[in-house]
Amino acid sequence: MAKAIYEGLKFRYKTTVIHRLDPRVKMLLSIVLFALALLGFNFYQEIITFVLVAVPATLAKSLKRLMRVVALSITFGVFVVAINLLAGGTVVESIVLAVRFLEIVASTSLFFVTTSPDELEYVLRWFRMPRDFVFAFATSIRFVPVLLMDLTQIIDAQKSRGLELDRGGPIKRIRNLVPVLIPLIVNSLVRSGELAEAMESRGYGAVKKPTSMDVLRLKINDWAALSLIIPGGALLIWLYIYVI
Amino acid sequence: MALIEFENVSYKMPNEVLALEKVNLRVDEGELVAIVGGNGAGKTTLLKHMNGLLKPVTGTVRVKGKPTTESSVAELSKQIGLVFQNSDHQLFSESVKEEVAFGLRNFGFPPSEVEERVARALNAFGLGQMSDRAPLTLSGGEKKRLCIALVTAWDPIVLALDEPTVGQDHLNKVRLLELVRRLIRDKRTVLIVSHDLEFLWPLQPRTVVMSGGRIVADGPAASIFTNFELLESSGLRQPQLARLAVALESPSPFRDVDEAVAWLREKNGPWSSGSQTAFGKG
Repeated sequence: MAKAIYEGLKFRYKTTVIHRLDPRVKMLLSIVLFALALLGFNFYQEIITFVLVAVPATLAKSLKRLMRVVALSITFGVFVVAINLLAGGTVVESIVLAVRFLEIVASTSLFFVTTSPDELEYVLRWFRMPRDFVFAFATSIRFVPVLLMDLTQIIDAQKSRGLELDRGGPIKRIRNLVPVLIPLIVNSLVRSGELAEAMESRGYGAVKKPTSMDVLRLKINDWAALSLIIPGGALLIWLYIYVI
Repeated sequence: MALIEFENVSYKMPNEVLALEKVNLRVDEGELVAIVGGNGAGKTTLLKHMNGLLKPVTGTVRVKGKPTTESSVAELSKQIGLVFQNSDHQLFSESVKEEVAFGLRNFGFPPSEVEERVARALNAFGLGQMSDRAPLTLSGGEKKRLCIALVTAWDPIVLALDEPTVGQDHLNKVRLLELVRRLIRDKRTVLIVSHDLEFLWPLQPRTVVMSGGRIVADGPAASIFTNFELLESSGLRQPQLARLAVALESPSPFRDVDEAVAWLREKNGPWSSGSQTAFGKG
């Protein structure tokens, strides 16, 4: 399931209007959609938010992938409904809460499916985050596919030795993970050590303020998007709170 | 009945890439088969179909006549022992002997037999002295031998080695060669996936060449490895002894340097008298 969610969230380069936007604009769009999802308290608001997420997702040719992530998150949505019902909420309220959760997932996913790890790194640097933190964060995201590949190979290798991950009760199933997790952790540690050595060998940390090849600059399409997102977002938030 | 049979097998990766395309292959008992090809040719995908890790999208894979879709990976793995390329993906136990015992326990061998088989497998691979050591502290060559030992411990009817020479030094390659020869002497069926043709050449296996997910040639090593165009188009480099045999128009391939020297001495009489070396007067 984790792999399926990752596949849904993985960045894939496409030449769409949304993909070409400055990462800061994409982040702002996601934040606005996230806020609208959070502020939604009735079905009308949820439907509007859903449409607002679906439009950029369609423009980014990523609606299908986003819907896949949402579909995978439905289990958690059901959990939200159940907890809310137990806590004394009505059926309608519980469903609205679950839909709100799914929209939060979708709005966040929209940013990740359209923003490359490199762009994410630029955004964090623009926010003046410490360089080591930015590097560690961006590297960890870049290494997710490698880890997943390792995981698949380790599972295959252990299955070939007769390990049946889906067999037995809950305790046995947890114990079954040991032959998978130990090689995964050991390999990751070895790889991180190798990466640190490779980075140092390439001058990482040699100067306090290294120069940057890429600098974020807003272009016309970014300004156009901002002129839609900022007033539109503000208006919708006001409508959500006071009118609809 | 074939031991392993692929009938029109095709397989698509999750990213929609066709990794195997209409593959037909038959492996009989006691055969030594090398599956060669460049990176991304589909060699490992083919192996993973044998123990059910992957199931064909179309076509059928049969092990001892039974389609792999009707058996679990564990059931198939007991028959088809697969040794993966990366030893570090397999080792996790506290000790070498525990590592070998893991598979045996999974396959339900009784405790007394587990102990006996562990000892036998470790001794057979020269790891008896290291039985209490942590597997992660072993050298690359030792880890590789351990990975082969832990699979042979349950006596699978087929031993399939995926790129066994990757990361191995010359001495370990020689050991591996000896090991494969021993397995063949013991009438085991051995499959070797590799693009290291220099390693395979002395074994003279039946050779299956893969390229772009298809089997492009299947025949004895002597005919496949001497076909320069075929190997070149499959991203492979001809073994030096095969090139030499072709260049010298030898009637049969040289399995090793000694064979080549003997043939040359016989052909060029005076050259072999010892008065001259390849580099000048001796």
